[in-house]
Amino acid sequence: MKSIWNKILQVDLTARTCKTEHIPDQVYENFLGGAGMNAYILWRDCPRGTTAFNPANRLTFAPGPMQGLKQSGAAKWTAGAISPSINMNADSAATASFGIEIKEAGYDALVVHGRSDKPVCLVVDDEKAEIKDASLFWGKDAYEAEDGMKEAEGEKFECVTIGPAGELGVRYANIQTRKKSFLGRCGLGAVMGSKLLKGIAVRGSQSVEIHDPKEMDRLNKEINKRLTEMDKLHDEWLQFKRVGTASATELFAPQGNLPIKNYQLADFPSGVKNFHASNYAKELNAKPWPCQYCAIQCHNKCEIKEGPYAYKGKGPEYESFAMVGFNTMVDDIKAVAYACELANLYSLDAISLGVVIAWAMECYEKGVLTKKDTYGLDLTWGNAEAMVEMARKIGTRADGLGYLLGEGTKIASEIIGGGSGDWAVQMKGQEIAAHNWRAQYISALNYCTGVASGPNHERGNSQHIWVGHVRLPEWGIDEVENEERWSWEKAAERNAKFHDYCNVINSACHCKFMEFRGYTLTDLCNTINAATGTGWSLDDLRRCGDRITQLQKLLNIRYGWKKEYDFNYPKRFMEPVQEGPAAGKIPIGLEDAIMDYYKERGWDKDGRPTASKLKEVGLQDFIE
Amino acid sequence: MKVFINLKEWEFQEGAKFVEVVNLIKEAKKDEPMIKTIREKTGRSNIILFVLNGRVVQPREYESLEIKDGDNIRLIHPFAGG
Repeated sequence: MKSIWNKILQVDLTARTCKTEHIPDQVYENFLGGAGMNAYILWRDCPRGTTAFNPANRLTFAPGPMQGLKQSGAAKWTAGAISPSINMNADSAATASFGIEIKEAGYDALVVHGRSDKPVCLVVDDEKAEIKDASLFWGKDAYEAEDGMKEAEGEKFECVTIGPAGELGVRYANIQTRKKSFLGRCGLGAVMGSKLLKGIAVRGSQSVEIHDPKEMDRLNKEINKRLTEMDKLHDEWLQFKRVGTASATELFAPQGNLPIKNYQLADFPSGVKNFHASNYAKELNAKPWPCQYCAIQCHNKCEIKEGPYAYKGKGPEYESFAMVGFNTMVDDIKAVAYACELANLYSLDAISLGVVIAWAMECYEKGVLTKKDTYGLDLTWGNAEAMVEMARKIGTRADGLGYLLGEGTKIASEIIGGGSGDWAVQMKGQEIAAHNWRAQYISALNYCTGVASGPNHERGNSQHIWVGHVRLPEWGIDEVENEERWSWEKAAERNAKFHDYCNVINSACHCKFMEFRGYTLTDLCNTINAATGTGWSLDDLRRCGDRITQLQKLLNIRYGWKKEYDFNYPKRFMEPVQEGPAAGKIPIGLEDAIMDYYKERGWDKDGRPTASKLKEVGLQDFIE
Repeated sequence: MKVFINLKEWEFQEGAKFVEVVNLIKEAKKDEPMIKTIREKTGRSNIILFVLNGRVVQPREYESLEIKDGDNIRLIHPFAGG
């Protein structure tokens, strides 16, 4: 197989060794790379009983066969480990150039295990790898750490780093790269912190061999041209390079998809008004900040020049904006952008942060928390100052509530009590992202049954059948009626296809925003074939996605998943909202839909893959 | 003649112009919430974009471009959000 090196770097922080390991073609033919490689490494190297903060946990940073290709969207990469939020296997994807640099250094993955006895960083310069002292960077925020590492190693190194929240074990701590992209979900930053690994710097100068360079060049040109032309044809406010994903608030509000007041309300007019795209561009001085080769340019850099929320840096994306703003009822766009950037500096996942603060606000409203608990902060809905200050308390793990909220809403509600579990909008220990189950029932099914990364919108994305109008005609999802949002009839089949679709993309390591804006499954299949020479059909692509999903499920089971976890969903979504397009809609019938999904997947009534299903996808040797 | 729209086969008369495909899709999608929202916000009618055999069709071509037997057309909706 081409477009891979058949090599990974194994880093043991306890023994302070870095060794190259050969990986046979068959592993890539089965799992491609990226998310698939993460799952394979866990399956092979992390036995039952391994937990998130156990030194034996493997933290894998893996690009895929698409890194090194000059194609729009080919800057993506993934990392995975056993997660401290869901206590099962998880992976998360980011962009910028870190994955490309790993590939150009001559590796298909960096796998870190063990635990250092003092803060360290890993430096990979082509095939030379070294574990270095990072005591000077420990305690610094994630951006300062990146600056320090680049100053020490050189500007051409690409870095990942964590901030204080990662060092201090916040269960939803993220990992950042280039001050713009984040391995946001599942707390991989805390895994990195538990190993006393502050950062990784990588530089490479090698080009991987492509199966058919001529065809690859043709595809790159055609696809890049098409995506660029298409973006120009959209109205300005819908062009990602304007405000990135944040323009979604205007499209999601009329669909009832926004998370408002800890998912209690259907509308937040001042939020919709203040957060709309033209206001974002004006108030935050947003400018495009593209990734390598990208035609769409969804990232943007912002600058608030004065006032209490002055900063220059990353512009918030839809999920951050929605969770930190709409969900807490804070309609001050500058305060929300600033809080999101604070989250980035501390290395807090902004989705969980928004849910956690909203949960605390509801506790405060109901008297379960008082000013004695909140450091004297008036934690009322919409209080921007209190929201920002609480983000600081969580990011620094301040004694008391700040520390507790760093554990996530599941643990916090178990400790605080007072019925607060009823408004903890989480599943399996992970907070729910900004897609409302009442607006499309398939979101409920996606969260309940996801195996790649627990309950995670990004690892299913089936909500986008409606909210983003994404279609997969190659796999039979095309003509969909709006009213089907509230039907279970085809939900299991569609959800399964979207889970596999996300796994293929996250394993090839491509940016889903391309697929959402005109890059087809046929394009993906042609690109993988030109790069690797696998000669896959569209059915083979699905089979690969299915195989990875099944392996992730086996890992869930290994690390302690129980069937009841899938059915223990947030009660909040069974409370209807009173207005808007989703008024009165609640996902009744979800339990039956979960059972339908098990059947669709080839799982038994207990949600476990059957031997015949595992044989069908070539995983007969993976049965435990 | 046969034309494929999102891989599904459709029949069109010989000599049909691309605008017939555009109108067919516009009518079918006119009540979809996202399309309605964008139409109301922008006043635009060309919200869904079309890719013909791998290349983007510019709206100015709709009236003059002739579709051919075996053409492969993909519909691209606007997308927003994470």
